[in-house]
Amino acid sequence: MTQYVLRRVALFVLGLVLTSALVFALLRVLPGDAAQVMGGVKATPERLDQIRAAYGLDRSLPAQYGSWLAGLLHGDLGQSLITGVPIKDEITQKFALTLPLAGLSLLFSLLIGVPLGIASAVYYDTKLGGFASAVAQGLAAIPIVWAGLLLIILLGKGAGLLELLPSQGFPRTGWSEPGRAFASLILPALAVGIVEGAVILRFVRSALLEARGQDHVRTAAALGLTRRQALIRRGLPGAGPAILSVVALQAASLIVGVVVVEALFALPGMGSMLVTDVGNRDLIKVQSTVLVLVGLVLLIGLLVDIASRLIDPRQRRAGE
Amino acid sequence: MSDTTPPPDKDGSVDPTLAGRAPKAKSKTGPIIAVVVAVVVVAAAAFGIYKAVGGKKDDANITSGLSASATSDTATTTDTVTTTETTAAADEATDAETVEAAGPVSGTDDAATVVIGLSLEPTNLDVRNAADAALTQAFLDNVYEGLVSRGADGNPVPKLASEWTISDDALTYTFTIPDGRAFSNGDALTADDVAWSLNDVIDNGYVGADTLAKVASVEAADANTLVITLSEPYPDLLWALGGRGGLVLDQDATNDLSSSAIGSGPFLFQEWKQGDSITLVRNDNYWGTPAGVQSVVLRYITDSNAQLNAFNAGDVDVLAPISNDLVSQIAVDGAETFVAEASDKFVLAFNNAAEPLNQLEVRQAIRYAIDHPAVVTARGGVDRELGGPIAPTDPGYEDLTSLYPHDVDKAKELLAAAGYADGLELTLTIPSFYGNVLPDVLTSQLAEAGITLTVESVEFAAWLEDVYTNHDYQLSIVDHAEARDFGNWANPDYYFGYDNAEVQSLYAQAIVAASAEEEAELLAQAARIVSEEAAADWLVNFRQSIAVWPGISGFPQSQINSYLPLAGLAVAAQ
Repeated sequence: MTQYVLRRVALFVLGLVLTSALVFALLRVLPGDAAQVMGGVKATPERLDQIRAAYGLDRSLPAQYGSWLAGLLHGDLGQSLITGVPIKDEITQKFALTLPLAGLSLLFSLLIGVPLGIASAVYYDTKLGGFASAVAQGLAAIPIVWAGLLLIILLGKGAGLLELLPSQGFPRTGWSEPGRAFASLILPALAVGIVEGAVILRFVRSALLEARGQDHVRTAAALGLTRRQALIRRGLPGAGPAILSVVALQAASLIVGVVVVEALFALPGMGSMLVTDVGNRDLIKVQSTVLVLVGLVLLIGLLVDIASRLIDPRQRRAGE
Repeated sequence: MSDTTPPPDKDGSVDPTLAGRAPKAKSKTGPIIAVVVAVVVVAAAAFGIYKAVGGKKDDANITSGLSASATSDTATTTDTVTTTETTAAADEATDAETVEAAGPVSGTDDAATVVIGLSLEPTNLDVRNAADAALTQAFLDNVYEGLVSRGADGNPVPKLASEWTISDDALTYTFTIPDGRAFSNGDALTADDVAWSLNDVIDNGYVGADTLAKVASVEAADANTLVITLSEPYPDLLWALGGRGGLVLDQDATNDLSSSAIGSGPFLFQEWKQGDSITLVRNDNYWGTPAGVQSVVLRYITDSNAQLNAFNAGDVDVLAPISNDLVSQIAVDGAETFVAEASDKFVLAFNNAAEPLNQLEVRQAIRYAIDHPAVVTARGGVDRELGGPIAPTDPGYEDLTSLYPHDVDKAKELLAAAGYADGLELTLTIPSFYGNVLPDVLTSQLAEAGITLTVESVEFAAWLEDVYTNHDYQLSIVDHAEARDFGNWANPDYYFGYDNAEVQSLYAQAIVAASAEEEAELLAQAARIVSEEAAADWLVNFRQSIAVWPGISGFPQSQINSYLPLAGLAVAAQ
């Protein structure tokens, strides 16, 4: 087990390093530069050179990558090219919005996906089960932005039929007004949660349906449980690791969803920040932010892999 | 500015079948696949975002720039050459900019906070280094001030300087700065500070230095007298001093300009929450008439529907601008809307220097092929038709829309004459944040005349590099927001590539003209030539709608993208 964890952590670090190189390279392919954005269209070439020199943009690419990586090793994400604020501070500040939003989205998606998925597998042969599956198929195909728009039209303050919840913005005072802050996250989290939840629903359903045909479930049924009882008591635990892995993989898509939905709901979080920074060609900030996001996804993957080892005796044995 | 923000078209959700299989694989490659999938998904999504979203800030650059350094001036120059003129008293200055400030509002709530919804956020607060118009909009005459102020009609009014005289040769400007002017940190503001500020801008090439290029020296004769000497007559000096280059900072202050601001204005900069808002509070020690409200929050919302929702929900009191096609959806009783005049010109630029647009017939054909009223309608009906390079807000404007009426047959004839009887293929390069309306309308209109348009929607940063810097384009659309930017047509090195000796000569005469009438006359002549020669097509004079909650008065009504003086805002007492 220890060996497995070590190997898995090594893979995590490798993933991060690869990502850093990939993100760095991708951003350099983009046309345009921060100096031009800062200096504006009227800036003279000399002025642009001055700005570049001041921000180290005149160095060779390997040198820029090297110094960024060296900073990362010390836990220093660098400073924004445009504002000069330490990137770590800004990310921390934006996380105060984005992490709760991601957490709430995950919660919604699980609340929607898992119970409905189980129900739809258990009642797969009834009309209700078929209906749930069809709805899930449809919802999983909607873009999150569209789900968000629908929710705004239905529930948003200032726009919706039932003016229940804020459809844009986050209190300037942040979490010092917890009620308002929380309320402003509900609709965006629901938009992400519904779409992601539909995906999870389908996985739970198919994992359970697969379990239905397995020997131990049939044996349990033969021993006197009803088929439904057998499925839930014997089938569900077996399908657990697969479901957990899917949820982990969905975390990547969930974080992307959150990034997208922030713009729609005018929430000043990581997503909005990323979009702005790309426009400003604040490359150091973009690459550090993306790296943090990817790191988060990889970390979830790492934790889930280890967790599924713990709950799945087959995997434990295979690894030893 | 951007009437449409392109919605990200990719929600980034993974293909369920693919994602589902990876973790189920029991081989040791399972985790590796998981890692790779995660990396690819996030990297691809991030890349997708670049493609989908143009980057909202970029708008700012357009509004701030795209004008040659030389601009022309109007009425203020009337007497500069021959006589010595003293302008009005200082007291008129603070209220002059806002239209509604004239009548005192009975019973105003001076402890109020007004939230103003805007589209474009500054990238940085450093007024010396960051060029964006959004920063000028937030700080000019609110936090920082200059010797003079650009009035609502663009004519300078006294600000820090109570009066000024101009020598007979128009080379020496002498400004009087009365005692009592002060910075927000308590330091007195003297002629020394002004001289230091202007010299600092000129010596370091800071933003606005180009507008002070003809300044030979700036010296404080004493604490109350500042003398600016020019190398040659420059009637635009007062205009320039009312803008970015003329802002007066405290030479003894050592604050970091990118995160704080010490100025002499009616508001103090309090807080910038990046991605959300800038908060200004009233400067209670202001040297002039204090601001009408306790604080102003400039809240930045990119998405136009979110802006509208915020207005309807009462989260913002003013929306400037509100997307023109959303005005009908305002659901606030008693809310007022008005259209702000602006110098914005949506220019369909032709690369005059390269095949095939160096041919007059081709350019003319395109102009005949465009149905301008339909363009205005497609954009929501608020914009104004524009037939030439000068906007109605600027000197030298005349209505040139009749030069090229919509005439598809004539367009086809001209194309045939130019050797493109079988059709012509052109590429239009447009920054992505302008959305699809204009490209779509143009594609279908030009198709009728036999021109096949390929639209390349690019990020603004890419536009700057390809079109603006390298002139590598055929057609391009950009909103040239800057006032008095006719000089671009007299500059053959500008990205228009338009080179006409007569236009250049007329413009050169205009900028040193003896009177405003003469100047306007010369500019009008030049503008007519530019339009007749079809150096570009001017699709619309972009005008923005502004929505205001009932009870709020004194909001500026023109040129709000780069100048938003808020001292005159008032909220009626409940």
